[in-house]
Amino acid sequence: MKNFAKHLPHYLALFGVLIIGALAFYLFSYDRSFQTAVAIAVAIAYVAWGTVHHSIHRDLHLAVFIEYLLVAALGLVIIFSLIFRT
Amino acid sequence: MKLFGQLAHLFFPRESNNHKAKILHPSSLVILTFALIFYQALLTFLPQYGPRVLGYAANISADEVIRLTNEKRVAVGLAPLQLNPTLSQAAQAKGVDMLNKDYWAHTAPDGTQPWKFFIDFGYKYRYAGENLARDFSNASSAVDAWMASSSHKENMLSSKYKEIGIGVVEGDLAGVDTTIIVQFFGSTYADTVPISPVAKVAPKVIPSPKPIVLATPQPTAPPTPISRVLISPFNSTKGISLATVGLLLGVLVVDGVVTSRRRIVRIGGRTFAHLAFLGMILAIALILKAGQII
Repeated sequence: MKNFAKHLPHYLALFGVLIIGALAFYLFSYDRSFQTAVAIAVAIAYVAWGTVHHSIHRDLHLAVFIEYLLVAALGLVIIFSLIFRT
Repeated sequence: MKLFGQLAHLFFPRESNNHKAKILHPSSLVILTFALIFYQALLTFLPQYGPRVLGYAANISADEVIRLTNEKRVAVGLAPLQLNPTLSQAAQAKGVDMLNKDYWAHTAPDGTQPWKFFIDFGYKYRYAGENLARDFSNASSAVDAWMASSSHKENMLSSKYKEIGIGVVEGDLAGVDTTIIVQFFGSTYADTVPISPVAKVAPKVIPSPKPIVLATPQPTAPPTPISRVLISPFNSTKGISLATVGLLLGVLVVDGVVTSRRRIVRIGGRTFAHLAFLGMILAIALILKAGQII
């Protein structure tokens, strides 16, 4: 929790991006191409956020970068599966 | 006891997993991702090589689609559309054509335009429009989806149209048992006052070049689904997605609490960031609904 409070501005930026992404899905339902673009943009923003955040705190390692990349990839696969099946 | 140990290793941070639940390790995330891709591949290839068990259960009536469409029109001050049986026959024929030729588009693979069905059934249109929907479980969700799309909404709320015809066909489309709704809009030369000048023709609204009355064809029966519907591709994907994300969120919360209390320092991503991202994925999975419109 201390860690969260310390990095609050960083987290607020991340939450902002994620909330906008979820809202875009809600507002542009049934627009598959737009939703696909939003999903890719949010996933890239998430990995970029992780990279910048850890870089600023000087604890960016390859393992950390890969972890963000894999979480983003898993999220993208889930969203694409659902968009493809709607 | 051994099973409990394995589960703890998988879901709980402890010494055996280097104080990070095994399911959160990169190797496990890769396995989970490929498992989800494999399931999608299975859903895609099953209809071709396996039993026809995929489909969408639906309860849609043409009358309900018309009622809901007119409800939307009346709400914005437009006159309700009149049901035209000829348009309904044409719409039904279009739906059957899609099932027979196995396509999901306004224009058939052989280049047949939707307007051909209007002409074939002898509907002398001045303006014509088409909305298509598939995989919806009820009429209300299909109409709501059309209303959420500007081009489809434009068709539904156009003052140029005076009549409507609905075709609801059930059958096998690309190996999946589904219900297609074809919504035809039209107005004839007889029931429209000439508009002068016509500045712009809206998309999917085409003035008839020279209406030709042909013998009314009868729609041929769509191919009968081979077996009973067992699995909805969308619902099963959604269920598996929600279970996966829910599991990861739960494990992340436990992992975050335990590592925070034990003051474990490790190299890895921020738990809050992963929770936020997966939370968004969960929200999106809940938002998305079955059904396609074009």
